[in-house]
Amino acid sequence: MAEKIKKFRSKRKAEITTNVIVYIILICISVVWLIPYLYLVAQSFRGESTGVVGYMFPKEWTFNNYIQLITDTDTLNFPMWYLNTLIVSLVTCIIQTFIVLATSYCLSRMRFRGRKGLMNLMLILGMFPGFMTMTAIYFILKQIGLTGNLAGLVLVYVASSAMGYYISKGFFDTIPRSLDEAAKIDGASQHTIFLKVILPLAKPIVVYTILTSFLAPWGDYMFASLMMLGETDKFNVAVGLKEMLTRENLPKYFTRFCAGAVVVSIPIAALFIWLQRFYVEGVTGGAVKG
Amino acid sequence: MANLSLRHIYKVYPNGVKAVNDFNMDIEDKEFIVFVGPSGCGKSTTLRMIAGLEDISAGELRIGDVVVNDVEPKDRDIAMVFQNYALYPHMSVYENIAFGLRIRKMPNEEIHKRVTEAAEILGITEYLDRKPKEMSGGQRQRVSLGRAIVREPKVMLLDEPLSNLDAKLRTQMRAEISKLHKKLQTTFIYVTHDQVEAMTMGTRIVVMKNGFVQQIDTPQNLYRYPGNKFVAGFIGTPQMNFFEGTLTKNGNKVDIKFEYSDAMITVPYEKLLKARPHYLDGNHPVYIGLRAEDASLDPEVVANSKYKVKVVISHIEELGNESLVYADINMHGDGYTESSTRIIIKSQTANQYTPGEVYDCALDVDHLHLFDKETEESIIPRIPEVNEIECKVKDGKLAFLNSLLQLPSAITCPEGKGTMLLPTNAIVFGGRATANAVECEEIGGKYLVSLDVAGRRLFAVSEKPVKLGECNISIDMKRISLHIEDTVVEAMNEKVAFNGTFDKQKVVEDVAIFKKPKKDKKQAEEVVAEQATDEQPVAEQVEQPLEESEQPEVVKYKKRKVIHFYLNIAGTRFDAPDDIAQKIFATLPPRTVFSTPFRYEFTPYDFTLADSGIPAKVERVLDYGNEKFAVVRIDENTVINVFVKDNVWGDVYLQPDISKVGVVETVRDIRLA
Repeated sequence: MAEKIKKFRSKRKAEITTNVIVYIILICISVVWLIPYLYLVAQSFRGESTGVVGYMFPKEWTFNNYIQLITDTDTLNFPMWYLNTLIVSLVTCIIQTFIVLATSYCLSRMRFRGRKGLMNLMLILGMFPGFMTMTAIYFILKQIGLTGNLAGLVLVYVASSAMGYYISKGFFDTIPRSLDEAAKIDGASQHTIFLKVILPLAKPIVVYTILTSFLAPWGDYMFASLMMLGETDKFNVAVGLKEMLTRENLPKYFTRFCAGAVVVSIPIAALFIWLQRFYVEGVTGGAVKG
Repeated sequence: MANLSLRHIYKVYPNGVKAVNDFNMDIEDKEFIVFVGPSGCGKSTTLRMIAGLEDISAGELRIGDVVVNDVEPKDRDIAMVFQNYALYPHMSVYENIAFGLRIRKMPNEEIHKRVTEAAEILGITEYLDRKPKEMSGGQRQRVSLGRAIVREPKVMLLDEPLSNLDAKLRTQMRAEISKLHKKLQTTFIYVTHDQVEAMTMGTRIVVMKNGFVQQIDTPQNLYRYPGNKFVAGFIGTPQMNFFEGTLTKNGNKVDIKFEYSDAMITVPYEKLLKARPHYLDGNHPVYIGLRAEDASLDPEVVANSKYKVKVVISHIEELGNESLVYADINMHGDGYTESSTRIIIKSQTANQYTPGEVYDCALDVDHLHLFDKETEESIIPRIPEVNEIECKVKDGKLAFLNSLLQLPSAITCPEGKGTMLLPTNAIVFGGRATANAVECEEIGGKYLVSLDVAGRRLFAVSEKPVKLGECNISIDMKRISLHIEDTVVEAMNEKVAFNGTFDKQKVVEDVAIFKKPKKDKKQAEEVVAEQATDEQPVAEQVEQPLEESEQPEVVKYKKRKVIHFYLNIAGTRFDAPDDIAQKIFATLPPRTVFSTPFRYEFTPYDFTLADSGIPAKVERVLDYGNEKFAVVRIDENTVINVFVKDNVWGDVYLQPDISKVGVVETVRDIRLA
């Protein structure tokens, strides 16, 4: 009886087949993702009409939509909204980043009665969607006269920011405690330890926190629309852009809406490009035995 | 540049686990102290308590003359080196070393001077610009040392600094740290689990296990006089051999019989004079410890030795300059597993022996270590506790050796022959009897004096050195115990302990409000205000303004509620001394302070008879000739002996000297004072 020689499948062939399949799937997904963006950018350069059309690439390319977006401020004041959003987002970002990082540091490093309970409570409260309390917040702020006011909006965004402690606390927990102890013996106070030892080591999470705290108010529609009900010049970009899509505005403003959407995404992209290098940097190397 | 004192230091976690138990130690300036023990023994915890990184649950820690229990780490003037280096990774080596100085706002030139100096000492000058991650483990640990030494601390604390280094680097750094200690001339406290590090570096070593201090001594003394089986086994490589066995005294000889084997040696009683007498009856199982170098197979040594056992060799480990011979005193033992019959012998002549063969092995009985099998404590302590002497009682007189003593009336005992247990602390220097002091040895601050009385060696303990030659002694009769025929006369019980609690009471008192110069007015108000707050042991401060101000002018008296604190001793309240009240408040959680049971301890000499105090009934008076003690009954279960000047009887009141009280919290067994 002749020995049956077992044939092995070529490893290289198998790899190629897998890769081909994987890439096909990935390309499909990315096309699905990219088409809306492409559509938006293309439409923002359309010159032939300002309303909605049934095709993607414009026949006539123009920069007019962008110029009008910025110059035509009579009815829909986009530059004003843009400025509003930028102010609110920046202020929120600064305050929220500070609160989140400080909270996380405390919960990670200090031991006090009720710490675990507090952490769980914040986690659970944070799971409820923010709009649940929207009406209540609206009436409370109305009573103290903070509706229709950018400061009120900042307050709403910042109020519950401590609840976002979870991810950064997890990061702080990975920084060896002996660093704190060494600093403590060196004579550092809690805030010196926080500012000079822990924060420089936590750059990735600081970046992450800055990004998230900036993005949330930047793109928020729900609270902004409620708080600024009817006060057109206090709108933020999300509410303002939505205004362009009403039935009466749509034919005149659709291409301008697309241009606005593109402009809105610029700061985010810039912020991310500036901050991303800190993401990658491995900063904890050499602290302790490695 | 400072001495440390640790008094009754405890670390108790909220779940009741005690990490450190009653740690007591005085550390002199410039000492190199090593805490050593297996992991989880509490050595790091103790160090971290000294550093201030952990709270001290109970006890008192002094650095210099200052109690630092409540002082922040940065203000304790200590520096610490961590096992994992704990360098700041985002700073350069220079900045790492300078960090502590910068925080202390030292001028830049001074910082630069110190950093470069430290870098030079440690040989890291060329790395000052590097980041820690660009350095090797040994270099990082040097940086860590540098960070500690630039601060010029009073005490250097090192927490297993070499554990992360490889073997060769460790040996090198060991030498360098020792050198650093010599150079800096400051107190070092070093934690390690490596007994070789401990032995080579420490001037004194603290051996710990399960939170308890096992022994504190110099490396040599730890090796030669281990206080218990754990220390004996922990110090020294290869580990000490342990056998089980019994000791039987036959006249002037003691048979040492090894369990699970036919081996037995007979040694003269003089070799075991220091042994606790009751272990020599043949019924108390003991561990017999013998180091590998104290056993020998060398034919010459064996031929000259009187103390031999037969061993069967199982295998031999060559170490190069010498060999370890693994053998067994049980002819069926395998010699591989650690058992109570295996013996490891250091030998220079190992190539003469064949595994599987039986040889004679000579034991060096001068270096025999004996431990109780249950408690594992040494039964031949360096300072023996008692001398056992043959004696005879006749006509109310006690005859022993060449002396004849009148028995005091407190000791009633039938006539006959028997033995007397004479504790070493019952021999008092000065008196009418004479003895010949032949040796005086300092051991742990005390002096062990060997006396020659009628050809018999007696041990005595003295606080001061004793001149050799003729000396006068007397015997403290209350401490001896006699075993005559079948009667046992115990020594007098010198322990006085009461159960009690810590009480408080609100008292409405007239508090004087003083007119004060404007500056002090605020202070005076503060004092009064403090008294109004609950749970603060400040009641005694009422009178303070009186003492401090020069001409106090009482404006008015005000009725205030003042809280007084008491030690409730056997049902009677005594004003609690400030320091004790403070210790109690510092140690116990506030809610349980007044419901926790305490034990209050005294000595028989701490009492006076007075018109008030603890009610007691005198049962009889023990007259020891020069001293009298009243046996008093406090309640059904408590009978104590107190020192009295004259005969007393009937109902009395005992007034204890509260300043001498020993306080033990009984729930967690924490000694507070």
